[in-house]
Amino acid sequence: MKKKLLAFIVALSAVFAVMGATGHKANADEPHYTITSDATYAPFDFQDKNNQYVGIDQDLLKAIAKAAGFTVTVKPMAFNAAMQSVASSQADGVIAGTTITNERKAVYDFSDPYYKTGIAWATAKNSKIKSLSDLKGKTVALKTGTAGAEYAESIKDQYGFKITYFSDSDTVYRDVINGNSVATFADLPVLQYTIKNGTALKVQNSKEPFAAGDLGFAVKKGDNAQLLADFNKGLAIIKKNGTYDKIVNKYLSAKASTFTGSAKDNSTVWGILKTNRSAFLSGLKQTLYLTVVGIILASLWGLFLGILGVSKNTLLRSLSTTIVYIFRGMPMLVLAFFLYIGIPAVTGTKISAWTAGIMTLVLNEGAYIGAFVRGGFNSVDNGQMEAARSLGLSHSQAMRRVIIPQGLRLMVPSFINQFIITLKDTSLLSAIGILELTQTGTLIVTRNSQGFRVWAIVAMIYLIVITLLTLFSNWVEKRTKA
Amino acid sequence: MSEEKQVKVHVDKVNKSYGDNHVLRDISLDVMDNEVVVMIGPSGSGKSTFLRMLNQLEKPDSGLIEVDGYDISDPKTNINKVRENIGMVFQNFNLFNNYSVIDNITLAPVQLGKMTKAEAEKKAKELLETVGLPDKASAPVSSLSGGQKQRIAIARALAMDPDIMLFDEPTSALDPEVVGDVLDVMKHLAKMGMTMIIVTHEMGFAKQVADRVVFFESGKIQESGTPEQIFTAPKNERLQTFLSKVMQA
Ligand SMILES: Nc1ncnc2c1ncn2[C@@H]1O[C@H](COP(=O)(O)OP(=O)(O)O)[C@@H](O)[C@H]1O
Ligand SMILES: [Mg+2]
Repeated sequence: MKKKLLAFIVALSAVFAVMGATGHKANADEPHYTITSDATYAPFDFQDKNNQYVGIDQDLLKAIAKAAGFTVTVKPMAFNAAMQSVASSQADGVIAGTTITNERKAVYDFSDPYYKTGIAWATAKNSKIKSLSDLKGKTVALKTGTAGAEYAESIKDQYGFKITYFSDSDTVYRDVINGNSVATFADLPVLQYTIKNGTALKVQNSKEPFAAGDLGFAVKKGDNAQLLADFNKGLAIIKKNGTYDKIVNKYLSAKASTFTGSAKDNSTVWGILKTNRSAFLSGLKQTLYLTVVGIILASLWGLFLGILGVSKNTLLRSLSTTIVYIFRGMPMLVLAFFLYIGIPAVTGTKISAWTAGIMTLVLNEGAYIGAFVRGGFNSVDNGQMEAARSLGLSHSQAMRRVIIPQGLRLMVPSFINQFIITLKDTSLLSAIGILELTQTGTLIVTRNSQGFRVWAIVAMIYLIVITLLTLFSNWVEKRTKA
Repeated sequence: MSEEKQVKVHVDKVNKSYGDNHVLRDISLDVMDNEVVVMIGPSGSGKSTFLRMLNQLEKPDSGLIEVDGYDISDPKTNINKVRENIGMVFQNFNLFNNYSVIDNITLAPVQLGKMTKAEAEKKAKELLETVGLPDKASAPVSSLSGGQKQRIAIARALAMDPDIMLFDEPTSALDPEVVGDVLDVMKHLAKMGMTMIIVTHEMGFAKQVADRVVFFESGKIQESGTPEQIFTAPKNERLQTFLSKVMQA
């Protein structure tokens, strides 16, 4: 009975894994491209109140693709991950409000400029800081990898300020509004749009932006020349026929609530829950899905490592010890980036963020599981093995019939604990762009700037799920003790 | 080997050390078919090590050990096959905690293909009868008392139809009032003609059941003989000292 259930779970997770791994099928006659994009960079890229990805970039890309005759799948993620995915050939191109710089030209080929921009700096609304020289000795908050950040770095010694980095815009703004830092540097249209949507910041140089520059669509240097040519062709067409202006105006002169939802809904937890119900649900679903598939595969891998760790063969034992040592010692985030961005950059093979995420969970959680599985087997009294062997059972028969069943029973509490840890660890996978619960929270906050309420909701959802899981596992634990 | 009794266990000049601790020194001993040998001696003298060597739970550093005619230190010998014929009973019972009583008894014969599940269960029930616990078949191990556990452990060893039984202080971990139950089972086995090597401190039992008593001290067999010789006319000085101590107690 138990065996059947296990077999069923394994089969199920294998099916899920395959489903998760298959991407979109290309349209037969038109070329199809995978384009990465920043998930939180309004007005260029963001989720609207219906949780659709919209923004100047998104609408332009759609219009250009249609005009030039290609199709795209857009993958929103953190800006850095979006750029890296293209550099490591995980995706064909990136449109993420990217400023064309000489540094980036070393790695990417850029399209014709599609938007003129410049760097602005902003402070809290009521700040006493009026000029760059007032920044001396103060801290400036920046979003990692942006042109604003690059510019601030370049003048930081001249004006004597310190810098702190965050990976999404909303956290940067919160940091300035809360007074942890005094100012931020970012693209002018981005700041203007945010402020229009109710973020309590003030732009200091809206008339004269620094380092005026251009935004461009990028592909990996030397790759995808056809895509770049098509993009330029499409851009020329929509500029000529007026579509371009229509799109830009739609975002820059619209009322904030068109995209962000009504102020009334955003001011209560209930309202936020109601308007974002489907987003929270699908984020939660993805989190649970990652957790369940992750823990099942990690358990199998961990059991394998644990059994290897108590084998009679010294070589196998030290192999197991080494694997456990490496993956327990490596921060999970580093492992995720290494798998998703590092390895493909060298080998040139694409893997989906989802696959990389599951592999990260399996390797990391599997190492912890391997360690306690080995410990569990070792803590079974040696007399059990001797009794089994004295009857004539082989080492492996003794392991299978006597030691492993007893060891597993000792491990039940550790497995349950690891299950809960895995659930929490999935939130780290938001960094490689998986749209689970935490990333969902980030996206909603970017749009409505309701950091406190949204994160409180997300925290509650995690707590509720973990409570249910704990109750369930207490029940399982009681039943296996008997 | 025709008319005479068969040699079941042949040990010749066996040595064993743990680091600097020379635990067994040139031990030689033959045990015949149907013979009951009781080993006595102070603790730490090497009795357990010697016994565990007979089914290769420990390996000797040098010397020859033959059981049922098989040289068990020869790597070509299938030790698992030899062990099927040697039952062992431990001081701490070592019943399998993850099985019920009957599954403890049937595990090895079924796993090793000696019997079908049904045959093994039938045999297990007979053995439970023999050890005086016919109603414990489906009891979990954790519900048994020490005396019951040890009798089940004996039944488990007997399920493989061994022709030699090794006992390592089978009653040392038991409450005094249940020691008799276990010794009775062992006496019964002796009567049935089982070849047995028993390490014990139960001198009364030794006198009654042993064909031969072997005195271990400092990793050596200092003296061996019939129970009368050992208990009434000990020659070795250390044996005399040992006996005076245990008889006092
Ligand atoms: N696995 C082992 N490792 C190291 N020393 C051991 C081991 N087993 C037994 N010894 C030592 O060997 C000696 C004999 O032990 P043992 O055979 O258990 O004696 P006895 O059963 O007569 O009490 C003791 O000094 C004991 O400490
Ligand atoms: Mg001993």
